[in-house]
Amino acid sequence: MSFKSSVAIAAGRASYWFLHNFLHGGTALPGKVTLALDPEVLQTLSKNYDVVIITGTNGKTLTTALTVKVLRTKYANVLTNPSGSNMKQGIVTAFLTAQRTKSGKPLAVLETDEANVALITRYVSPSAFVLTNIFRDQMDRYGEIYTTYDKILAGIRLAPKATIIANGDAPIFNSKKLPNPIVYYGFNAGKDREQMAAPNTDGLLCPNCQNILHYYQLTYSNLGKYYCPNCDFKRPQLTHQVNTIKKQTPTSSTFEIDGHPTTLHIGGTYNIYNALAAYSVGYHFDIEPELITQALNSKDEKIFGRQEVISIDDKEVTLILVKNPVGLDQVLSMIKTDQAPFSLAVLLNANYADGIDTSWIWDGRFEELPFERIPSVLVGGERYRDIAFRLKVAGVPAEHFEEHENLNAVLESIKKMPTKHVYVLATYTAVLQLRKAMASQDYIKEGME
Amino acid sequence: MPYTLNIAHLYGDLMNTYGDIGNILVLNYYAKQMNVTLTSEIVSLNQPFDPEKFDLAFFGGGQDYEQVIVSKDIQGKKKALTDFIEDNGPVLAICGGYQLLGQYYIGAQGERIEGINALPHYTKSQDNNRFIGDIIIKNAETNQTYHGFENHNGVTFLGEGERPLGTVVSGHGNNGQDKSEGAIYKNVFCSYFHGPILARNGELAKRLLLIALKRKYPDADLSAQEKLRIKPTY
Repeated sequence: MSFKSSVAIAAGRASYWFLHNFLHGGTALPGKVTLALDPEVLQTLSKNYDVVIITGTNGKTLTTALTVKVLRTKYANVLTNPSGSNMKQGIVTAFLTAQRTKSGKPLAVLETDEANVALITRYVSPSAFVLTNIFRDQMDRYGEIYTTYDKILAGIRLAPKATIIANGDAPIFNSKKLPNPIVYYGFNAGKDREQMAAPNTDGLLCPNCQNILHYYQLTYSNLGKYYCPNCDFKRPQLTHQVNTIKKQTPTSSTFEIDGHPTTLHIGGTYNIYNALAAYSVGYHFDIEPELITQALNSKDEKIFGRQEVISIDDKEVTLILVKNPVGLDQVLSMIKTDQAPFSLAVLLNANYADGIDTSWIWDGRFEELPFERIPSVLVGGERYRDIAFRLKVAGVPAEHFEEHENLNAVLESIKKMPTKHVYVLATYTAVLQLRKAMASQDYIKEGME
Repeated sequence: MPYTLNIAHLYGDLMNTYGDIGNILVLNYYAKQMNVTLTSEIVSLNQPFDPEKFDLAFFGGGQDYEQVIVSKDIQGKKKALTDFIEDNGPVLAICGGYQLLGQYYIGAQGERIEGINALPHYTKSQDNNRFIGDIIIKNAETNQTYHGFENHNGVTFLGEGERPLGTVVSGHGNNGQDKSEGAIYKNVFCSYFHGPILARNGELAKRLLLIALKRKYPDADLSAQEKLRIKPTY
């Protein structure tokens, strides 16, 4: 280790120790301090690790958490970065503060922001990349799906030997020839049927001949068994696949991966993809399939924080973060699997962390909600007028429809809703504000994982 | 319902960023209140646009890559679209759709991407800058105020015979210089507004529907439709 690196690492660890013990926080600053002293410190810190970089628009956090859980069944030292700390400084902090307790090969599973991949691989040679998907996200930040993929590719090109473990159902991950070994995972859970994606879907052009892609199977958005009717571009051979989906509820999914029965204690088809990605990484690291599915099957409240169930008096309130149209559609599909009548609240803010452009709510298919089973609908947040009109256009009946800008008023209305199950879909800062309101009445503890 | 209108959703499977599809959902919402059945059909790559078949056309914005493909394909529809426009067919064009109805726009790498020159405006690009944020404009003829969200790199300059959709009250507009936003030519309405534009500006949705109805049913009594009150949504 160079003198510069040692000094930088010592300074970073000291600032973490100080922040952690006296200020109860600090995931970015120690990394920042260290990087300021030695910009190349990641090279030193990651030297002995097998590194897995997990990136993509949706599903990074859960895929990372599940992958860590899977890898820990065989490896004693698995380091990871906390959710949200997925930029370079957060990753440096994760290495700085890693506790190595046992001997054996250390692994690092890093949730990495799409634009930060190249910043990491400049110094770290990963053994694998996991690419979950690329959807339109907050475009004011990153731009288009192709630009996002180019950013990821810039990072991959620095590590041509790393295995790419990619979602094979996403056409974009098959659009560029790369020297890396590639493992594709995907869904093969239905009968083939000629179909096309919904009109407002992104990324439907064949990368070779620019015709619109068709599908034999379509999971959601542009994910599925795609093919080009005009040339030979089609979904690649899958190494790992979901063969059957047996049952889906808002809180669980039962399915088979490579023929191995799996039950995931969180709803949503998108989370099955995340589990499949984690399975593929486990397989890549020589873990027995039975051991992997066992790890996926176990209940783990901490992992599923983005979909929280909170008791508010006699109500069971499921609080779900929504941030982009594909994610929103997936959440809508998931809550539809609830067989009992339920109430719905949609809370929309437009601060920077939420995305300042609210037009994405029009790409979500609220029209498909079973309004006959939803006796009460509420909208709230700073942009409650936008979301109220969206729901009116979607056909929500005018009776039992409430609007509140203030989230304390939202909480009071939730208590009076006519069903036991209440689903609250909220943008990032609205989640924080609602949790604060709930914490002030002791329904939950303050703060967020 | 006695009235029917058929919308051509131009390149709806490629030009669909920022919730633009909401414009069709909103048109449908007000159409129902006006006793009109609305149908919408995508007209995309390698498909002809038949001006006789449609009463209204909607053309949204897309991503750079898709827009280049559309620019090539739409040359084959140039005559049909121009005929429709010259024959007073109502069109709503947003962002990339707005640019492609004009002469040309300049792409991310500085390349010139051809429009169909149905309208005389042209679009240049800004270096490493986008106009992003809430925008308010006012239309001097109708005295209506429109609210929207703009997010564009292109700077558009209007040509002869075009007038702006509105004058910028706050925000950037077409080019950040001349206070104009969007364009009106015959019954073509162009804008950089997302939001989507018709969700926050129901009066404009009503206007488009009335134009289409009057054109298709010249002898009908549409006084009830004209009386429809648009409640504020923003």
